[in-house]
Amino acid sequence: MTDSVDQAQAHDGIVIEVDAADAEAIAAETKATAVAGADERLAYQGVFQRLLIRPEVGAIIGAMAIWAFFWAVANTFGVATGFGSILDAAAPLGIMAIAVSLLMIGGEFDLSAGAATGTFGIITILLVKDVGEIGGAGLSLHIAIPLSLIVALGMGYANGTVVERTGLPSFIVTLATFFVYRGFKLGFSKLIIDNIAVGRIDDAAGTPNLSPGDEGFRANGGYGFWRPIFDGVWARNEHLLESRDAIWLVGWVVGGALVGLAIYEMNFRRAKKQNPAGALVMLGGIVGAAATIWYMHNFDGRTENMIASLAILGSALAGFGGLALWRYERQPMGNTPFTNETLTWTGAGLALIAAGILVAGALDMEAQQSVLALVDALRWPIVLVAGALAAYLGFRAVGAFENQQDALRSVVTIAAIGAAAAFFTYGFMFMTTEQGLRAMLLGGFVIAGLVTLAMAAFKAGRVSPLARFLVLTATSLMGLWLAWFIQGQSRSVKFRTEAFSVILFAACMVFVWGAVSLFFKTRAEPDHAASRLSSVTAKTGLGIIGVGMVTRLLFTTEAEQALGRTNPVNFRMSVMWFIAISVFATWLLGSTKFGSWIFAVGGNKQAARQIGVPAARTKTQLFMIVAVAAWLVGLLLAFRLNTLQSGTGNGLEFEYIIAAVVGGTALTGGYGSTFGAAIGAIIMAMSVQGIPASRWNSDWRFVFLGGILLVAVIANNFIRSKAEATR
Amino acid sequence: MSEQVSDTQPETPLLELNDIGKYYGNIIALRDVTTEVNAGEVTCVLGDNGAGKSTFIKILAGVHQHDEGTFKLEGDEMRFESPREALDRGIAAVYQDLAMVPLMSVWRNFFLGSEPKKGVWPVQWIDTKSAKRIAKEEMAKMGIDIRDTEQPVGTLSGGERQSVAIARAVYFGAKVLILDEPTSALGVKQSGVVLRYIVEAAKRGLGVIFITHNPAHAYPVGDRFLILNRGQSMGNFAKDEIDQGELTQLMAGGAELKELQEELSRAISGV
Repeated sequence: MTDSVDQAQAHDGIVIEVDAADAEAIAAETKATAVAGADERLAYQGVFQRLLIRPEVGAIIGAMAIWAFFWAVANTFGVATGFGSILDAAAPLGIMAIAVSLLMIGGEFDLSAGAATGTFGIITILLVKDVGEIGGAGLSLHIAIPLSLIVALGMGYANGTVVERTGLPSFIVTLATFFVYRGFKLGFSKLIIDNIAVGRIDDAAGTPNLSPGDEGFRANGGYGFWRPIFDGVWARNEHLLESRDAIWLVGWVVGGALVGLAIYEMNFRRAKKQNPAGALVMLGGIVGAAATIWYMHNFDGRTENMIASLAILGSALAGFGGLALWRYERQPMGNTPFTNETLTWTGAGLALIAAGILVAGALDMEAQQSVLALVDALRWPIVLVAGALAAYLGFRAVGAFENQQDALRSVVTIAAIGAAAAFFTYGFMFMTTEQGLRAMLLGGFVIAGLVTLAMAAFKAGRVSPLARFLVLTATSLMGLWLAWFIQGQSRSVKFRTEAFSVILFAACMVFVWGAVSLFFKTRAEPDHAASRLSSVTAKTGLGIIGVGMVTRLLFTTEAEQALGRTNPVNFRMSVMWFIAISVFATWLLGSTKFGSWIFAVGGNKQAARQIGVPAARTKTQLFMIVAVAAWLVGLLLAFRLNTLQSGTGNGLEFEYIIAAVVGGTALTGGYGSTFGAAIGAIIMAMSVQGIPASRWNSDWRFVFLGGILLVAVIANNFIRSKAEATR
Repeated sequence: MSEQVSDTQPETPLLELNDIGKYYGNIIALRDVTTEVNAGEVTCVLGDNGAGKSTFIKILAGVHQHDEGTFKLEGDEMRFESPREALDRGIAAVYQDLAMVPLMSVWRNFFLGSEPKKGVWPVQWIDTKSAKRIAKEEMAKMGIDIRDTEQPVGTLSGGERQSVAIARAVYFGAKVLILDEPTSALGVKQSGVVLRYIVEAAKRGLGVIFITHNPAHAYPVGDRFLILNRGQSMGNFAKDEIDQGELTQLMAGGAELKELQEELSRAISGV
């Protein structure tokens, strides 16, 4: 075989020595270049670009940003109670969103998914009810639950089969099913119990006070068996774990260190010869970090915190620097500090952050008055300028008028853009307080500045390692200023402590990253061993952090109980189902044959069929999966609420689709992630909880959701276009 | 190369077609097509658009069934009812659209529909590790090194995508490989790459049917040439019976000749 390769290469005039026995060892670069030509190769992607390519990454970043946003504006957001109720609200939505995202990856929609949840819950309740002469089967739950599952499977099968047989868009077919469900729920409820509120599922508990033979006696129908499965509760207050906080802290430190290790391993080039002295330095850093944590745990105060910060910086430098010394290849630092371009970008980034801090410092942090009152007489000029500016930008976008018809259309468009901008500016000033404006300006300027500095660092990295180091150092110094500004100038305790520490820590890490990449070579070629190692390390690290966080959420301590600082956080079975289904669906999609087929039928059905994938069967099974998820959610709701309204679930199908799309699933099929859909559901639940917690009217949630959806689709399209970019 | 292989030619050809014909209602799509495919040889099917090339491969691949003539695979007369059946007998077609899912990774595309499994039913999963390894190895055997089998097929160049499709067909036990216009959408350099894969596949003992409308691509790699025009065979030549100039001429002059023949046939049948 190798001989022929040689021959082929010789034909091209490029002769490469190939050892016949060692074909495997041919270097990827040389060989692919020789065979396929260098122009066919893709540029090597940096560590952050490679991370961004995953569909769910956008959702994870979004979830963190939204969490940070609500954490900042709402006092009751982010404590354990809040998190418990977020998960509680996310669970039914998330279970459905996961199923719907599978279906969407398979290239179809199910508009009946929302109404289906209520339908299967109501069917179960009606089967259980015993209402005398008119109806209600009065069955035991042992029969009613499997029976409703069979109905659900049948309905899913029907949806899938009709879509496949008729070739109609699933949009239309499932819209029809949606109306059927809606009618069924109302019709049967009224027919059987003459009420649109269908209750109660605990009829199945029977009549424990009566004995067999009594008037109205009913045997126990398995309620005691099924209830814990669908509505069991884990009460945090009842479960003590003294080492809870230690587990939490260790989880963060160890997990964070592993994630950091993974990022370094992914980014730097491994040296040919390892330097054991580096391992010793790294060990010193680890010991130093452990000692610092112990110190922080036992001492508190302004000076002590300063000492601890410096100690953390030192340990991080020793730890990551030692790691680099041990494993990675050295490089010359270069002596070109700046080019005009990097200087401009850096200056702009620093100026933006400085402007944010200075403007925020100038505004009154206590003022509750509307911005409209603040700008006073200037309000109309501001509105006019905003409108004119938008109209000008619109004019630039629309372009010059070629003829009269064009001119009319352009004028109308530009006028509309200007008017809309003016209207929104006024509305914004009317609704926002000075205090709010301050937070927005600070946040906006700082984020814009950080993005600019990141760009500057990227550009500087192409000039010389020294230039990148200088940009990153300036960035971390800005971080220090920001941290101290927030500590001194914030009203809220959590800003002065938690946000302060996080910013300080991040600034340290940026500096360490800059320092290490000054001396060590960034990897610019694939290294499968390193990629695999870092992937395993990162996953382990995230898992450890997750265990720490879950432990903190699930348990209480005696000290906490004694202080009365307990929160009645209850984790219901719905959350457990949600987690279990997230894990299962991620495995199903990523690791099984069926998962591959889902991507295939959604990505290119024709091709999938040609190559032997049973496309019709796969799609039908996906509709059945959605129906089973709806059945599960219906039961969760039925056991939770006992009585279901006949409108239950109607209209929620779009929320499932939004959650899936926010999680990175493409509307066109063939791309997406179930894990992302679960995160999308959590984002939506956060907005449900966070908006009232921020003391806004909860109706604004829909505006918020609309915004998230739009941003998510734009961001995901961008990510996907990178993923599928051809040639 | 062709001389060596024809020396050791087996007595029965891998694929033998005699007077194959196909009708769609009253339209004659294909008529009197005769050729053979031997193991280790490349049979080129040449023809302009609408010459019946697609019908021809669809019959071979089991998408359509022939209405006339005999179709023998390793001496047995065949009539495939579905593409799966043809695939099971070792006839694999690589279509123009390549049957690939652009957003899926190389290894997933490679094994799509026939994923290697691990575990016990119902808990079964794809043996990802060996799937990736095999995909990489098989591609290497075709002379191309895929940097990362995780990368989406959509990011590969046209020539690389062809190589994935060919390597996949070869790995899954194809004896006869049908390539439908593999070079038509490619530039000169990439076409050269694909032509090399074709030779490569033939060297591994496969019978290759290479469909093209470019004699310059066909002549260097082909051992046998079947020229089609408007559903009729314009001739079936071994390489030593024809040179590239004649081949080109036959294809170009075919149109006029064809019209003449059609008039004649109408006159003869007396319609």
